Amino acid sequence: MVVEVKNLVKRYGDLIALDHLDMEVREGEVFGLLGPNGSGKTTAINCILSLLSYDKGEILVFDQPMRPTSYQIKKDIGIIMQNVAVIDELTVYENIDYFCGLYVADKKKRAPLVEEAIDFVGLNDFRKFYPKKLSGGLLRRLNIACGIAHKPRLIILDEPTVAVDPQSRNNILEGIERLNKEGATIIYTSHYMEEVEQICSRIAIMDKGRIIAQGTKDDLKNMIRIGEKITIECLTGDPNDLIDAIGELPFVASADAREKNLLVTTERGHNGLSSLVQIVHDKGIQTGRVYCELPTLNDVFLEITGKELRD
Amino acid sequence: MFFHLFIYRIKSSVRNVQLMFWTLAFPILLASFFGLAFSNLNKADAFSEIPIGVVKTGTFGADSTLQSHLDAVSSESDDPLLTITYYSTAEEAETALSDKQIKGFLVDDADGLHLHLLSNGLDETITKQFLDWYLQVSASVERIVRTNPSGAPAISGILEKNVTYITEQKTGANAPNSTLTYYYALIGMTCLYGAFMGLDQVSCVQANQSPAGARLNLAPVSKLKVFACSLCAVTLIQYLTILLLVAYLSFVLHVDFGNRIGFILLASFAGCCAGVSFGAVLGAVIKKGDGIKSGILIGSTMTMSFFAGLMQASIKYAAIKAAPFLAYINPAEWISDAFYALYYFDTYDRFFQNVALLFAFSFVMYLIVYAIMRRQQYASL
Ligand SMILES: Nc1ncnc2c1ncn2[C@@H]1O[C@H](COP(=O)(O)OP(=O)(O)O)[C@@H](O)[C@H]1O
Ligand SMILES: [Mg+2]
Repeated sequence: MVVEVKNLVKRYGDLIALDHLDMEVREGEVFGLLGPNGSGKTTAINCILSLLSYDKGEILVFDQPMRPTSYQIKKDIGIIMQNVAVIDELTVYENIDYFCGLYVADKKKRAPLVEEAIDFVGLNDFRKFYPKKLSGGLLRRLNIACGIAHKPRLIILDEPTVAVDPQSRNNILEGIERLNKEGATIIYTSHYMEEVEQICSRIAIMDKGRIIAQGTKDDLKNMIRIGEKITIECLTGDPNDLIDAIGELPFVASADAREKNLLVTTERGHNGLSSLVQIVHDKGIQTGRVYCELPTLNDVFLEITGKELRD
Repeated sequence: MFFHLFIYRIKSSVRNVQLMFWTLAFPILLASFFGLAFSNLNKADAFSEIPIGVVKTGTFGADSTLQSHLDAVSSESDDPLLTITYYSTAEEAETALSDKQIKGFLVDDADGLHLHLLSNGLDETITKQFLDWYLQVSASVERIVRTNPSGAPAISGILEKNVTYITEQKTGANAPNSTLTYYYALIGMTCLYGAFMGLDQVSCVQANQSPAGARLNLAPVSKLKVFACSLCAVTLIQYLTILLLVAYLSFVLHVDFGNRIGFILLASFAGCCAGVSFGAVLGAVIKKGDGIKSGILIGSTMTMSFFAGLMQASIKYAAIKAAPFLAYINPAEWISDAFYALYYFDTYDRFFQNVALLFAFSFVMYLIVYAIMRRQQYASL
């Protein structure tokens, strides 16, 4: 086990930021910590890293208790914090070299690592630039390079794509997958479910300081009642007339109408698209576009907490 | 590792424009400004004797030192600076002043020596310089008597020396003037501005003060070690800026520091340590708000420098007279006084007393910083 968190409680005054949190991260996986803003992701990360003191609980990293002075463990961790943490007066190259130097003292060993990190994030043309001259996306990339240059076994990224242009975002996500292929275990926090779905092999959904669901994305989607979300556009007739009849079908979880569209969610494990279309046609209504969506992590979140992931 | 941290700290501090402005550019600007102002003032070469009045009240005669100083600069001497008319009441002097017979008059009443002036011309400034100088000498004497009662015989020596100084003033050589107070206080201020450096180093290693500090706390190094390296680096930078300032004062503005260079280097170093450590304490105690921190820093160092005579030389002596303990708790005063002691005295007692105070101050500051910063975990960020 790379990270093991048991029963972690962290309070800020009266506010309980982490409420008996349990979490496990296994060797080689991309572990996603998904939750809305304020759910406690950053707090959890900072406790795991022993940066924050906590009220209760146990934290093991690489099977050893994590303490502020666990330098042997810290050597193998790379952190990309939520806030860009670079030194404004140092250039791109110097920043990476400076932070890498805290891990790798030998200058000869360090030089190729720094080069590799610059290459990795694609900042070759900017090595002499000062951070102030970099765009938001490039700055994020520098922030990442500073965290990974020493080739850590465990890499923790806290919302690395916030306020980043789409191109840099893709670059970052691809980079994370590459690091994982090269053997690093990744912990990735985000409030963007699409990103987490895209790159994470296992996901924990957080809300109010607790993990409310955990597993692969299929595991998570199997936890909820809805199987599919079906939309049928009615070109003639009123979809409202259909709601009652359809709502009574055994595999239908809910039926609703919005303008010309009939919106139906089905119970998990049932595929009712063809029979639904049949019913609509039987009523003499002509159909336009018909499509079917699988549930998203947002639906999972919605069903468990009763609110949207992004509000 | 030390070298790595040290070099990068030097690089990032030297490139920090704000830091360099306060610790280097600002003092040199201020020094140039002083230089300009005083060069006009010192055009007093071609002056004639200035008529002033002295009110001889009951207490006046008791202070024979003042009388002898007055004699030394008035028509009684070979080289007069002032012509003195004596009055028996303040009212008479007041009338003479308003009739422009005299440029000002001195009263020595229960609260000390006062100078009454009509306007702020050059002549009045010179009169004022004389009074400043007198108050400064009497303050030093008081201080020596207080700290070292057995040294009383040395005092008359000092006084004599100073009396000859003032009579030499017009011959041009190595004359003491109250402008030195300004320059020495300026050095004090600059040393204390090293606090900007100390402040910056704390925020660079504290996870709750900067993201880069948070990153550092996650690395496999002790933050106190990094902090110690940073302090070495910035103390060195600060020291070099002070030397630059002293060189500028000495070679460009021709400010006289005497010629004991080793001691000047030592006093500058002690001052730097005190300044940097003072900033470190401010940084460690006040957690958030860069603006607030710099505000408090500038406010407190300016106050200290003010009492050390940066804006008005006479403030220094007035302050020492009114509240002697101020001089004992004011690092700016220790620094400027160390330079003073070097300039005016042959002995080193007072100089070393100031230097020792500065080092002791730095030591205490760092103890406080250590007590606050040794905690490795944060309750909140
Ligand atoms: N330094 C702090 N002091 C007080 N409350 C805090 C502090 N940091 C975070 N919180 C609170 O703790 C909760 C969790 O915050 P955080 O861990 O930053 O969430 P996330 O990273 O998921 O957005 C939030 O309610 C936030 O307001
Ligand atoms: Mg966060």
